[in-house]
Amino acid sequence: MIDKSTRRDFLKRSASLAAGALVLPQIIPSTALGMGGKLPPSDRIVMGAIGTGAQGTGNMDGFLQRVKELQFVAVCDVDRNRAKGAKDMVDTAHNNKDCRTYGDYREFLEKEKLDAVCIALPDHWHGLIYTAAANKKLDVYGEKPLARTISDGRAIVSAVKRNNIVWQTGSWQRSQQNFRHAAELVINGRIGKVSLVEVGLPNGIKGVGTPPIKAVPAELDWEMWLGPAPKVPFRGISHWNWRWILDYSGGQLTDWAGHHIDIAQWGLGMGHSGPVEIEGEGTYPNEGIYNVPVDYNFLCKYSTGVELRVANSTQLPNRKDGPSWLGGATWYGDKGWINVDRGKIQASNPKILEEVIGENEIHLYKSDNHIGNFLECIKSRGETVAPVEIAHRSISIGLLGEIAMTTGQKIQWDPVKEEIIGNPVASRLLCRPYREPWENPTI
Amino acid sequence: MKNQYILIFAIVITLFNGCTSGTHYKALIVTGQSSHNWRASSPILKQILEQTTLFSADILKAPEKKEEMSTFAPNFSNYNVVVLDYNGESWSEKTKTAFVEYVKNGGGVVIYHSANSAFPEWKEFNQMIGLGGWGGRDEKSGPYVYYNKNKLVIDTTAGSCGSVLKRQEFQVITRNPEHPITKGLPIGWQHGSDELYSELRGPGKNMEILATAFAAGTAGGNRRNEPMLMAITYGKGRIFHTTLGHADEGGGPAMECVGFIVTLQRGTEWAASGKVTQKIPYDFPNNGSISLRAGFKEMTLDDDLAKITTYDITKSTKYFVDLQSRIRTEAKTPEALQKFEKLIIKILENKEATDDGKKLLLGELSWMGSELSIPAIKQQTKNPNLKAAAEFALARLQPSR
Repeated sequence: MIDKSTRRDFLKRSASLAAGALVLPQIIPSTALGMGGKLPPSDRIVMGAIGTGAQGTGNMDGFLQRVKELQFVAVCDVDRNRAKGAKDMVDTAHNNKDCRTYGDYREFLEKEKLDAVCIALPDHWHGLIYTAAANKKLDVYGEKPLARTISDGRAIVSAVKRNNIVWQTGSWQRSQQNFRHAAELVINGRIGKVSLVEVGLPNGIKGVGTPPIKAVPAELDWEMWLGPAPKVPFRGISHWNWRWILDYSGGQLTDWAGHHIDIAQWGLGMGHSGPVEIEGEGTYPNEGIYNVPVDYNFLCKYSTGVELRVANSTQLPNRKDGPSWLGGATWYGDKGWINVDRGKIQASNPKILEEVIGENEIHLYKSDNHIGNFLECIKSRGETVAPVEIAHRSISIGLLGEIAMTTGQKIQWDPVKEEIIGNPVASRLLCRPYREPWENPTI
Repeated sequence: MKNQYILIFAIVITLFNGCTSGTHYKALIVTGQSSHNWRASSPILKQILEQTTLFSADILKAPEKKEEMSTFAPNFSNYNVVVLDYNGESWSEKTKTAFVEYVKNGGGVVIYHSANSAFPEWKEFNQMIGLGGWGGRDEKSGPYVYYNKNKLVIDTTAGSCGSVLKRQEFQVITRNPEHPITKGLPIGWQHGSDELYSELRGPGKNMEILATAFAAGTAGGNRRNEPMLMAITYGKGRIFHTTLGHADEGGGPAMECVGFIVTLQRGTEWAASGKVTQKIPYDFPNNGSISLRAGFKEMTLDDDLAKITTYDITKSTKYFVDLQSRIRTEAKTPEALQKFEKLIIKILENKEATDDGKKLLLGELSWMGSELSIPAIKQQTKNPNLKAAAEFALARLQPSR
């Protein structure tokens, strides 16, 4: 039996060999190995999951469709019931009772010998757990947005690069044909020179008031759920609705930044950079403990002069001759516009959409299956369609918008040094201090 | 020489207008007969207009029903804007003619709520209001005008005119964000519980629909986006038409709504002058929640601070959100931030102030504070309720330590 490190070395070697021969690494079809198309256990990717809520189990379900290629051995969640539910999913898929459960990710990472982990947690936990998994040299499928702060995001990028792991962000729109097609048309000039991109996101949620303090349910480790965030009593708000509280999330804006802002930058070819100026306004609930913006609207300028507006889509202006649907990303060029959203693509002239990208033009990374792409890259050691640096740059725009709206000030940003220029007050918002004993991840 | 005097005079006037709260426009509120509670609404309209300091408003009661109407002959031309809170008996021909002349020559008009049901038979009036309702109006009065999603619909289908949805809070959508009245308003905002007027008809000429609201099926509506705010021109005159603001005794949420108050103030200024100089206040509602002003008055910073001083977590966070909004809009420099910082420190040092209020303020200080705040924040670390928030603020303000 090949042990884990040997197998990983083998995979890395074969990838570099393949790269050396200037051909794409070939994955041996599993059927060639006999065994009813199933890889021998030693060649299957050994996986675990941290965070097994709605998004976490959704991702696991995607992975478990591919039990021939991988094997889940352990799951971890601060909610015992959720960990148990995820274990049942895994056991059913593998037809055994072997999946182990954990409540503390540190113990999980210490004890389990994994190749890869899929992680889906509230944003305030991303900085610590993504870096911890990377430092364990696990390949990671991690949920967007990459981080709660730009400082956490940079620390995650640096941990991923330092440890040379394969990283896939859950920005799965990059593996959808319509989004790739739209971005490819834009980057190849099919709507001419682009001057403006508008990103239309969902409206923020209205306040719910302040629910009373409740007993923490027996299955939930509330202290661990809070982790590095400020200590507060339990008011029945944890799963899912954490995203309406600034201590854990920036609301719809940051939740969706990893999707439509990510796509907008893809089409601009700015995925490794960012704007230089950000200014905007948000409005906030007047009642209760939800405090993320309800309406948000900010304008970013790139050094090229291109503008990017991000807003909840009801705040975007309807244009004569513009798209009828303002959700998703809309690029405006001097020869027309293209709008793309989930299940939709439209253009000022439908003929634009029929254009074929020529051989010598820019072809964006092609992936038609987001989880499949991650698994292929684990084997090839190649870069995924949604790598960590790109994820960091996508959420940085959402977070800079949040800073502009919080301060009411125009933010000057240096995308190379990743510093706010000449504004020490706004610069404080690049980081959120962690609650002891947790320490902010360092770069 | 003469021109120079005029120039100097103009400068003096401009300075005067810019620096003082002088009254610029005279408004006449015409009331006294209405299917609605005009005794409640008219004094509130006066208060709302005068609080801008742009207007002085007179309330003129028309004769009561069945009394002699021929004596009702206001001198409209003494005013910059006439606000109609009236849907009673017809005026004398002479008065009608005077009103038409007044508007044609550039007079402003505000049609408030049920005033759009007045004078169904008066052609010029119907042209001025754009759309009206009730009083036997039907397809002969003009088409229904509304939005279907983002498309303006002119619907000539025969049918009755004017209906009211059951009282509810609803969202108002800005349709023309470039008009002086609506420029700078959020595209969507929540309105205090009000009657939602639906199925209005009229000539709709020279009319811009500034904002609509959705007549939801669940509230008995026809699922159209119905006009709520309109701007019409007639001759040289400008008419602002608001369907909002149903008056309960003492006003109630429809009139206390900052959205109603502010659009009325802005619409009246536009009708009087063709421009709007007022700023959008920080407490304008958004898609998240309605925003009401008790007593129709804008809250002051002192009000906010007093409420935060006594805040506990079961109460409204509105005053804190207001303070945050003031900081964002008014304090763009470190010096300006310090003005607010000093006020916040005072509350932190106030032994009577609640822990819940202080906790909110510590969060705000964590980004906008300075060295000035450090001693006051350190003091809070001794309070077990505030320790975490204080340490968070200290860590952010002094990252190196």
